[in-house]
Amino acid sequence: MAMNPHKAANLRRNILLYVLSALILAIWAFPIIWAVVVSLKSEREVLTYPPRIVFDPTLQNYRDAIFGAFSIAQSFFNSFVVAASTTVLTILLSVPAAYAFARLRLPGRKSLGFYTLVTQMIPPVGLVIPYFLILNKVGWLDTYQGLIVVFLTFSLPFAIWLMVSYMEDVPKEMEEAAFLDKANRFQTLWHVILPQVRGGIAVTVIFVFLNAWNEFLFSVQLSGNHVRPVTVAMYNFVSVEQTLWAKLAAAALIAMLPMIIIGIAAQKQIVKGLTVGAVKGGGRR
Amino acid sequence: MNEKDNARTIRGAGIHRRTLLKTTAAGMALLAMPAVFTQRARAAAAAPDLSSVKNAKIDWGQAKGSSITIGVTPAGYFDNLNAVLPEFNKLTGVKARLEMTPPGQIRQKAVLDLSTKTGTWATHAADPMYYPLYVANGWIDPLDTYLQDSKLTDPAWFDFDDILKSWREAASIKGKPYGIPWDGEVTLQVYRADIYDKHGLKAPETLKEYTETAARINDPKDRLWGCAIRGFKGAGQNMYIFPSIFREFGGDWFDKSGKLTVNGPEAVAALEWYVDLLTKYAPNGVQNWNWPDIADAFAQGTIASYIDSNTSVAVVANPDKSKVVGKLAFARWPKGPAGKRCTSIWNWSFPINGALSRKDKVATWLFIQWASSKEVQAATSYGFPGGYKRLGVNRTSILKDDGFRKLVGGIGQNYIESVTASLQDDTDVDWRPRVPQWPAIGETVATAIQAALIGQAKPKSALDQAQSKLAGITKS
Amino acid sequence: MQKMMGSAMVRRRATVVESERNFAILLVAPALVILLVTTTFPIIYLIWNSFRSINLAMPFMNGFVGIGNYATMMHDPEFWHALELTAIYTVSTVTAQLVLGLALALLVMQIPRGQGVFRIVAILPIVLAPVVVGLFWRTLMLAPNFGLVDFAVKALGFEAVNWLGAPVPAMISVIMIHTWQWTPFVFLVMLASLASLPPDVYEAARIDRANAVQRFIHITLPLIRPAIVIVVIMRSMIALSAFAAIFAATGGGPGTATEILNLYAFRVSFVKLDFGYGSALAVALMVITLAVSSVLFMMRTQRAR
Repeated sequence: MAMNPHKAANLRRNILLYVLSALILAIWAFPIIWAVVVSLKSEREVLTYPPRIVFDPTLQNYRDAIFGAFSIAQSFFNSFVVAASTTVLTILLSVPAAYAFARLRLPGRKSLGFYTLVTQMIPPVGLVIPYFLILNKVGWLDTYQGLIVVFLTFSLPFAIWLMVSYMEDVPKEMEEAAFLDKANRFQTLWHVILPQVRGGIAVTVIFVFLNAWNEFLFSVQLSGNHVRPVTVAMYNFVSVEQTLWAKLAAAALIAMLPMIIIGIAAQKQIVKGLTVGAVKGGGRR
Repeated sequence: MNEKDNARTIRGAGIHRRTLLKTTAAGMALLAMPAVFTQRARAAAAAPDLSSVKNAKIDWGQAKGSSITIGVTPAGYFDNLNAVLPEFNKLTGVKARLEMTPPGQIRQKAVLDLSTKTGTWATHAADPMYYPLYVANGWIDPLDTYLQDSKLTDPAWFDFDDILKSWREAASIKGKPYGIPWDGEVTLQVYRADIYDKHGLKAPETLKEYTETAARINDPKDRLWGCAIRGFKGAGQNMYIFPSIFREFGGDWFDKSGKLTVNGPEAVAALEWYVDLLTKYAPNGVQNWNWPDIADAFAQGTIASYIDSNTSVAVVANPDKSKVVGKLAFARWPKGPAGKRCTSIWNWSFPINGALSRKDKVATWLFIQWASSKEVQAATSYGFPGGYKRLGVNRTSILKDDGFRKLVGGIGQNYIESVTASLQDDTDVDWRPRVPQWPAIGETVATAIQAALIGQAKPKSALDQAQSKLAGITKS
Repeated sequence: MQKMMGSAMVRRRATVVESERNFAILLVAPALVILLVTTTFPIIYLIWNSFRSINLAMPFMNGFVGIGNYATMMHDPEFWHALELTAIYTVSTVTAQLVLGLALALLVMQIPRGQGVFRIVAILPIVLAPVVVGLFWRTLMLAPNFGLVDFAVKALGFEAVNWLGAPVPAMISVIMIHTWQWTPFVFLVMLASLASLPPDVYEAARIDRANAVQRFIHITLPLIRPAIVIVVIMRSMIALSAFAAIFAATGGGPGTATEILNLYAFRVSFVKLDFGYGSALAVALMVITLAVSSVLFMMRTQRAR
């Protein structure tokens, strides 16, 4: 049975496309896959050259990272508390604010909008010292609330900006219909607007959580034994004497696991969050 | 590990106690290694007996109820300290806790804490080069008053003078102690006895010979390089090694008028030697390597020799990490053209944060005294029940102790002899310029060194550039 | 009748406007108060510090110096070097991400099945902490004689490159790392934009016998231009504030070969302990970021018109 030439060309083209795509996929996934491979090796095996694909896999590194003397389990919990609280607070504060920015007559809206934008542009390096002093003054160094407040400074402007774009997409008529029903404004926000932006809130939750979880610079300087987050704790395997690469890889993968799970599970929301404003030409400034 | 290589090393070495290693099976050889270097993550099984610290004629309970935090960085030796710390808390009624900070951040965090007078860290593992800065700002307490106060210190029991002299001096300013050394190291030559034997080579005695030796062995096609020395930029990285070379070439940091000078002829010659050696006989990329990279490479068997700290044996003599266990040998720094050897002075020492309350200061002093005492030094070293036993003990008496000698016996040829000789004869307090601006100076010169190492600038012009930048840093 | 109703409506409208305003303020207030406390005060403090000499290594020199730190900056070759690197880093990472991301999106659009796999894999680099990314690349991928990239380069018969040890390759490496982590972002945005384009314009073009390149330039590109502009703005701002990945991978080295402004400000503050000058550098970076984003936003609104 002879294939018709058009079909054959199509097939060839498709094969080429898939090969090319597979190659690019490999480049993306490889550092992560390699980290997984390394985390299953013994320390002795890690730096063997040329790198060996066949080896005796061990889960010892994971055991050490979770149950060992340098367990990151507590830090994992710390990260969760800080990231989750930051997220909840950010949503509580940013959703109403975004509604006001997007939909209501707010005096000085332009300058306030500009201000929230500016706050996103302060280099964190310049903020470490002021934060250290302030947190020390109020006794919040190395506490959950200290880190949470600091994390709010970058999550809040970002969340407001993101939510404004979603608020703007809600059809105006829906609000007006609600007004005619004499529903008060708060009820309007609660019963009419919020259900419309549920998707947007989900996206914001994911991004705020992600950023809070991955933060490093402030965490190093402003946390200590009590609330050390996991991005700092994994450095326990980088000692002054040696770097335990396999354990570091295991710890880093455990640290990143929630992010990877969220990333895959909430893939659609993340893409939406990334594309907000971009696709529709969106957010106002 | 290869059986044949192993056998050859042992024959070549001919050191009696190494017969211990004379086993044919590689696995047996690993078992015979002293358990010094098993993973630090395996913590102590049982606490060692420390009841003899009660012999000290002071009231250990005088700061009862205090709570202090001690800033340290992840390291096996601090883990051991952490493991015995409950003993201190029981003894004194003080609540002392160690806090780990990544090695790259501990200095910044300490400076941030001290400069803002927050008193977060009662004491911390301090870099000796930071004492001039701490003292110039009045951030830490002089310790002579603590040492002389009979209520606080039992001088006979504590025996301050037993602590290594060069380390004490490194933590002192104008003769006054500001920190008590706790753990430290020296830089020395670490080399592969098997490879040197094969070529009929001995440990080089001069820097010139060092280059020649590296040249003889260097064989990149076979993935074996002659040597490696850290090139990574940083006051504690390449400026940890270069000062030794600089001093061995006869360099002085300050000219006759007391002006800091880094571009004299000795400095240029020293840097030229450094650049030449690394460019020709070290692995590609060594310019950006730090000590763990060197140790990792050596442990993989790709480097014949390096000059770095003796603590790197935690990697290279550790059967869990290294493929060259049983093939190691050690030697002091080779002599430079000026005819002297110059090793590093490095130790983590404990100062007292000046921002504390009196009671917390007393608690902190009790901790420092306890931790640097003979008992606790031994208990965290050869007396430690866990797998990892620290080597960087702070006292002359322990270096001579049989228990300690037995512990380090299996590391490699000439280990304890080289370490002891380096500590006693090759240290030099003016090894690096001890001024408050050190962090900036070290960083500036380090940048110049790396620029020369990577061929971005010729040694002379790199150092000239550094000199012109220093003018801005040291203005007064 | 008509008139009465009118005035009542005006009156009602006025109260509506007023109550809306109050409500709006009520909604914005908590967030603004938090932002005011957590960012305004630190900014003011930062700017104040930038006019002072605060050098921990030379405490005797401390005091108000006016624009002294900014004057120093103008004559500081390291600042200009860092600024140049920042420009190179930002322009090249954003360009690379845009070109690669768009090309990839166009490629994936052609694939009949399996786009979902791409979306999932693309998410992975985005969700990783930059500090982890920098660490992994540094040793597991790029380290000479040990890293996989080095191995691959040699296995393919090329001369080994000293990725992080020589100035130009190191800069290329940090650009590559950033591009690796963030091209997926651009890719996902572009994929979504392309997917949202109406298919009928293409049909029309095909009937007009426009070839693929013409179709891309004359139809696709103008349609996704808003998305491109937004992506450029977002990516530029992120690139300007990059820190952790470079910090973990090269620490700004070798020498100062990868020391973008952010890292320079960090080194001046925390290594040289010159908090005054470090603050001035941070302020400069903030002003530059603001200026760049303002220009980009202006370009966006102009094009939209």
